[in-house]
Amino acid sequence: MQRRPHSRYWALFVGPYGAYLLVFLVLPFVNVALLSVYLHSPTKIAVEEFTATNYAKLWEVYYATLFLRTLRLSLVVTVVCAVLGYPVAYFLARSTSRIMTLGLFLLIMPLLVSTVIRVFGWLVILGSEGLVNQGLRLLGAREGMRLLHTEGAVIIGLTQQTMPFMVLPIMAAIERISPSLEEAARNLGATWGQMFVRTILPLSMPGLVSGSLLVFSVSMSAFVTPALMGGRRERMVGQQIYEEVLTAYNWPGAASLTIVLSVLVLGLVSLALWATGRRARLEISR
Amino acid sequence: MTGRPPRFLWPFVIVVYVLLLAPLVVVISVSFGSTATFDFPPKGLTLRWYHAFFASEMFVRSFFRVSQVVGLLTALVATVIGSLAAIGLVRLHFRGRDAIETFFLSPLLVPHILLGAAVYLYLARLAWATSSMTLLVGHIVIATPYVIRCVTAGLVGMDPRLEEAAMSLGASRPQAFIKVTLPLLRSSLVTGAIFAFIISFSDINLALFLAGPNAPSLPVQIFSQIQFEADPSIAAASALQIVIVGGLIMLVQRVFRLRLMV
Repeated sequence: MQRRPHSRYWALFVGPYGAYLLVFLVLPFVNVALLSVYLHSPTKIAVEEFTATNYAKLWEVYYATLFLRTLRLSLVVTVVCAVLGYPVAYFLARSTSRIMTLGLFLLIMPLLVSTVIRVFGWLVILGSEGLVNQGLRLLGAREGMRLLHTEGAVIIGLTQQTMPFMVLPIMAAIERISPSLEEAARNLGATWGQMFVRTILPLSMPGLVSGSLLVFSVSMSAFVTPALMGGRRERMVGQQIYEEVLTAYNWPGAASLTIVLSVLVLGLVSLALWATGRRARLEISR
Repeated sequence: MTGRPPRFLWPFVIVVYVLLLAPLVVVISVSFGSTATFDFPPKGLTLRWYHAFFASEMFVRSFFRVSQVVGLLTALVATVIGSLAAIGLVRLHFRGRDAIETFFLSPLLVPHILLGAAVYLYLARLAWATSSMTLLVGHIVIATPYVIRCVTAGLVGMDPRLEEAAMSLGASRPQAFIKVTLPLLRSSLVTGAIFAFIISFSDINLALFLAGPNAPSLPVQIFSQIQFEADPSIAAASALQIVIVGGLIMLVQRVFRLRLMV
């Protein structure tokens, strides 16, 4: 096939969104980076005087606990999503196309409905007069259980919200593995379990890795779910940022939190992309 | 057929789908319930909460004047600049193409709460007051990558010989593109626009920062109502959103027969 010459008009096509992102994505984060090294002043919000206190402050017990709690909850959510989501991904990848279409619709529909609506549903289910407590009462329990405003509630809410991010990449990876590979392994005497561990699991690992990192990074930056379902004192980083921006007006403090969380999340995601890409290259060269 | 999934996977499938769908089913059923106490299953059926929704000035304004308008404008702008970007990325060759593609898809990786805070602080520095306009500005950033993905997929799957045939019959490259390729791209363009609308319509993390105090979008209005005066008109508002989003996705899946991938 003939190779097209380098075009002179590329700027006309990629220019508009490129310029837009420069002004409304890159510059805002440059501004946040600047703010994060400005001095906080209770009267003027931020003074243009360079300081490292906003970052030094993050080592204090309050912020360290905040980050550790956010990390811990995100890890739990990731593991729960992987354990529950992997079988579903395998199921969908090996289903007939009709079941798969329905399965994908039911998987993606909840993902695209606003987070706040899904959280509202959980409030009705887990509330003190909610579905679960009504059920418990029917079974003879005298007092309802306190389910809302606990870490468990946050984990349930986040698992529901992030599950599709786990299932979709794993499903895509399993679909690329030919079913005849499974057949070959079975014909050579492997049990279903042996076949799975030796062929499907290693070959779908890139999907599992990218799914896990997506779930983890979405959980790390959650706001609505912990704000409405979590305890008042057990916050996550997203809530702290929201409050420091909109109610406490500690913008330099919010900026340092934003930078740390962005670096953490983007670092992990790029690491995953690089690792899975490298793995794929390794597999080809073998 | 060996392709059939083993039976012991069923419990996982059921648990996951119950978990995924339970909140939505409950919201819809509560919105028709006759009591104000979120009973599930509802004790009686009524449309009272839908009346309450349409009678509430706050809800009507956030639904019709903010969420729908911003959603439609986001879809329009994102489809135009996203399609241009996709065409440039797929059809033109230039230095740094891969880097630009990564850059264009990067809004998918940035957590929305952080983007919302960053844009809010940036607008504050520019002394630009928040309003539906600033919400639109933010939504274009996050919705355009979805359009780029849809249109890129459409362009890559197209046979380049169709355009070449038009050119060998005397059309110039722009003519061939507009007369042959663009009509074939129609379903990718519509899908991209629908996704852009849904992304804007459902977003809450950017809207909390950018919608401004006087013009909350529907999700923000629901968020504050949950905290202050929760009654089932919230469920009616939520049910309407679920139906709109569900209907649009079904349209994409059925009418355009596209595999959904987010």
